[in-house]
Amino acid sequence: MLKVKVMFFATLRDYVGSKAIEMEISSGTTIQALTDLLVVKYPRLEKVKDSMIAAINREYAADDQIIPEDAEIALFPPVSGG
Amino acid sequence: MDFPTIISLTESELDLGALLAQITIPTTGAAAIFTGMVRGKTSSNHPRETNFLDYEAYQPMAEKKMHQVAEEIREKWPTIEGIAIVQRIGRLYPGTPTTMIACTSAHRNNGVFEAARYGIDRLKEIVPVWKKEIGPDGEEWIVGHYHPRPGE
Repeated sequence: MLKVKVMFFATLRDYVGSKAIEMEISSGTTIQALTDLLVVKYPRLEKVKDSMIAAINREYAADDQIIPEDAEIALFPPVSGG
Repeated sequence: MDFPTIISLTESELDLGALLAQITIPTTGAAAIFTGMVRGKTSSNHPRETNFLDYEAYQPMAEKKMHQVAEEIREKWPTIEGIAIVQRIGRLYPGTPTTMIACTSAHRNNGVFEAARYGIDRLKEIVPVWKKEIGPDGEEWIVGHYHPRPGE
């Protein structure tokens, strides 16, 4: 099992109810698999799961990217700065 | 001579004049400054009034991506001298500048307008910052549309 930190921003933080959580995931878990696990844990994520954006260690990640040990994962909606 | 690059994600008030001075070097003869501010009344689309916006950022990644935007500008317009990319976060009221993208060069025809335009467009695509709009009828997160490619 790998330990990872998952951070949530904007709408996703509201749906999850916290800014960040620590999780243990099995080796080989992808972003897609992680989001599937999170939707089970936090059902309100269901409605944003198709539009959410993922970053691993502060870089945009692909859905099929495998999460490394001690990763800092961030999940958020499309950005709206400016 | 080193060309100045100012990247700032801040809760402090933006001082456009001071920022411009920081990206003006002896060879500079032109600057294009884009600034955006909180709009108190929106007439198009979905007409409404806005009391204030609450901005938040994924700070370390936002700063990294702001640096990336500056690097992209330098690759596309090598004649650009100074670059300032600034995003203010926190609670911001109508009329308040929230962002500034400024580019300087020796002459106005060296890409300053295009570079500043590119800078604000890219900031709105890849810099992880979000805003929640609070109005008389409640609050709502503003959500963008762009999905960056892996590594973008």
